[in-house]
Amino acid sequence: MPAENGKILAVSSVSKRFGGLLALDSVSFEVQRGEIFSVIGPNGAGKTTLFSCLVGTYPPTSGSVRFRGEELKGLRNDQVVARGLVRTHQIVKPFRDMTVADNIRVGVLYGRLRLRGAKARERVDEMLSRTQLGHRAQVKAGVLSIGELKRLEIARALATGPDVLCLDEVMGGLNPAEIQQAMVLVRALRDSGLTILMIEHHVHAVAGLSDRLVVLNFGKKIAEGRPGEALRDPAVVAAYLGDETKEEARA
Amino acid sequence: MTALLRRHPALVPGVLFAAFLLLAPVFAQRGMLNDLWNMAFFVVLASAWNLLGGFAGQVSLGYSAFVGIGAYTTVLLANAGWSPWLTLPVGAALAVAFSVAVGLPTFRLRGPYFTIATIGVGEAVRVIASGLEFTGGSSGLRMPQGTFDFNANYYAMVGLALLTLALVAWLQKHAFGLALEAIRQDIDAAEALGVHSTQAKLTAHAISAALVAIGGGLFATNFQYISPGSVFDFRLSLTIVLMPIVGGMATITGPVLGALLFSYLQIKLLASPTLRDSYLFIYGGLLIVVMLFEPKGIVGLWERLIGLRPRRRAQPPVGEARRAS
Ligand SMILES: Nc1ncnc2c1ncn2[C@@H]1O[C@H](COP(=O)(O)OP(=O)(O)O)[C@@H](O)[C@H]1O
Ligand SMILES: [Mg+2]
Repeated sequence: MPAENGKILAVSSVSKRFGGLLALDSVSFEVQRGEIFSVIGPNGAGKTTLFSCLVGTYPPTSGSVRFRGEELKGLRNDQVVARGLVRTHQIVKPFRDMTVADNIRVGVLYGRLRLRGAKARERVDEMLSRTQLGHRAQVKAGVLSIGELKRLEIARALATGPDVLCLDEVMGGLNPAEIQQAMVLVRALRDSGLTILMIEHHVHAVAGLSDRLVVLNFGKKIAEGRPGEALRDPAVVAAYLGDETKEEARA
Repeated sequence: MTALLRRHPALVPGVLFAAFLLLAPVFAQRGMLNDLWNMAFFVVLASAWNLLGGFAGQVSLGYSAFVGIGAYTTVLLANAGWSPWLTLPVGAALAVAFSVAVGLPTFRLRGPYFTIATIGVGEAVRVIASGLEFTGGSSGLRMPQGTFDFNANYYAMVGLALLTLALVAWLQKHAFGLALEAIRQDIDAAEALGVHSTQAKLTAHAISAALVAIGGGLFATNFQYISPGSVFDFRLSLTIVLMPIVGGMATITGPVLGALLFSYLQIKLLASPTLRDSYLFIYGGLLIVVMLFEPKGIVGLWERLIGLRPRRRAQPPVGEARRAS
């Protein structure tokens, strides 16, 4: 496991307010280089909002995000990508009228690597084969199945050449066989040197893949630790069980 | 070679038409040359607009401002003793500066802010030009004696049209074109993959503004007289938008077909007083027909006719195929 001093991402007291709703309430955690770090929690807990604040889709209302020691707050999304932090979208956002290969090419040309010419083509091909989309390279992304679209999200983000890859429910809507494939892919990505930040609902995948995780509920961090301990935490159990115990969980 | 022709069915007619335009002064009458000049002017306007409005999906309703900036720069500098040719780059530079001034505050906002802003900007420029002393107010300005040379102007306009087409086609093939395409299809996704959307939009806006302003400068030299009513006209802005929409946005051929259609329409409209007053009705009708029946314009219609773009997708997605079997 990564060394204690291999911190790559430090999230400190990040809050995000949407009008009257505090979607993130002073969330803090640190991610070590080479980890698979999961963010879990019930629907509406603020997980996707957290990713959006990390990469600069929109700025956090307050708090700080340091990536390899550098403050990211105030940077645009494209500037964050250029530094090596990239996210996928839970609600997939393919360029529907572009081919699958061109979708990936956007990440290759404009991400951190900004490759051109033959090098760019090679990287597109490499991403296609790593995500098993090679046979779909020349079809329009609009016709892909949900499983393929989730893989395209990964392929494009990966194409940019990140150090940290933030995966937002890439297993949502997949069948058990596809989930198995996705788990193999995530593990392979980590083994190739990437740090993975992962929002996931499938408990089996979370427990099987994560080195550590944080649990969010109503925008607050309610637990953190290794999956074995954190998932058994009473507050976490209560949060997932819902209403009757919600008050204790928030306390 | 055949593969190339199949992929670009407009290549052969396009080259033949370009050759026709370039050779026309040798055999054609002046009346016809005037119509061809106008057609080339429309090709410049429509294709340049298409770079930002079509490829990047940022619809501007204020492009007459760039025609006007180019035209006024040419007339004012020519009256100060400049050669009309040397005024063209100055007009282009001013148009670029103006495009950035309009784009910088509006491109950072999402949604239709840019479109709304361009309507106001176009009108504001017209009102200002009508009110200022040095622009000749609403009565306009005349070019100095001895600046008229139809043949030279004709070749310049046709050359500008071909340059515009070549430039847009080149940009489409390269990284920049892909970025514009990505911005149009999903701006959040484009930014999440590293595209600096504001910069890309500003660049597209600036390039098209420069081309349109050069066209405006040539317009001024050819007509020898300009007024706010002729170059800052909202009708002109509307025509600039409708040509690529009717022809087929985000394609190379579409704006050219739109330009052919609208320059023909304009000749017909100008020839008949009843039609001239009902242009909005005719333009609006065309727009509705396109929106209802073929949002991809004439190009889309053509692709459907020759079966290049089937109505339904030919290959079912893998997931559905599996479920069905
Ligand atoms: N752009 C937004 N504007 C207003 N409210 C939002 C926005 N995005 C998310 N929210 C709200 O913030 C809360 C957290 O949402 P989200 O981060 O998507 O949750 P999760 O990903 O954990 O399911 C929800 O109540 C959601 O409705
Ligand atoms: Mg979510």
